[in-house]
Amino acid sequence: MPRTLNSAVLLVAAGLLVGTPAHAADGGQLYKFYCAQCHGLQGKGDGPNVVKDFPVDPRNFTKADEMNKLSDADIRNVILDGGPVANKSPMMPPWSKTLAKDEVDALVKQLRALCKCKGKS
Amino acid sequence: MRQTKIVLLVAVMLAPGSGTVWADPAAGAKVFQVKRCQDCHYTDGPAKEKTIADQLAKKGPELWYAGSKFQKAWLGKWLQDPKPIRALKYNSLTAKNAGDHPKLAGPDAAAVTDFLMSLVSKDVKAGVVKPKMNPKGRLVFTKSMPCSGCHQFPGQKFTGGLNGPSLRDAGERLNPDWIFAYLKDAKTFKPVRQMPVFAGLLNEKDMQAVAEFVSTFK
Repeated sequence: MPRTLNSAVLLVAAGLLVGTPAHAADGGQLYKFYCAQCHGLQGKGDGPNVVKDFPVDPRNFTKADEMNKLSDADIRNVILDGGPVANKSPMMPPWSKTLAKDEVDALVKQLRALCKCKGKS
Repeated sequence: MRQTKIVLLVAVMLAPGSGTVWADPAAGAKVFQVKRCQDCHYTDGPAKEKTIADQLAKKGPELWYAGSKFQKAWLGKWLQDPKPIRALKYNSLTAKNAGDHPKLAGPDAAAVTDFLMSLVSKDVKAGVVKPKMNPKGRLVFTKSMPCSGCHQFPGQKFTGGLNGPSLRDAGERLNPDWIFAYLKDAKTFKPVRQMPVFAGLLNEKDMQAVAEFVSTFK
């Protein structure tokens, strides 16, 4: 077998073993599409759904002091199961039946990028 | 003689008050093409969108199940005098809806209505949901899974989020059975949408209750 073909076969096999998705979830795109409607395009909690009568203030993801109180698991749980899982408002709906695991992981990373913080471990 | 009989038959069918429904979807499809409605709306299902990019590339809502989604009387009037249904421009979180949807003259609107009402989905079961002030539906809609977060609706006062389509006059605009079908299986109609999937979180009885409640909105 020619060396180049060997390398190609090995590369494909390695890719299959690692299970890399064909298209990695894009946290920025997912955030804009699903989250920004309430949390705002810059993450300041001021999306277009937040009208005068909106009963709560959606979390401002740029506040590192608040975001640092949350672990990645805390964030993941609220995305999946909605606000009530963390004694917060049901205005944050559950996305467990909408988003795939890699999409939720990408969103957690995106929120960490917005707060420029790592959160509690 | 035979030709005369046919002419008479057609005349009777066209006569006002004859009670005959003389829908001609093909004529409406032609108007739809001539008016270039297809530039913003696709009418051949099933749904084509697979990714967020696919959804964002669309200029207007898909209409391939319009006959299952809308009520005919509302659609015929709206096409002649279209008012924004969503406060924001399609697919935008920042730009206002300019309210510049083209208007159709009466006969064209009637023809396009006939065409759109012929586009039905097998996934909408007819005659299941009747408009009703369902207390459980109201509770789910306003409290447990607050739809008002994204949708304006006529409650004690007219309020709600701006990203989702307004539910003002939803009881006149939407087919109650479609609301139920959409809640049960949103992906069939809109595979990529900003509304969460509620199937598996709400049971069918509760989703029907929400559909009944929403169908009372005037």
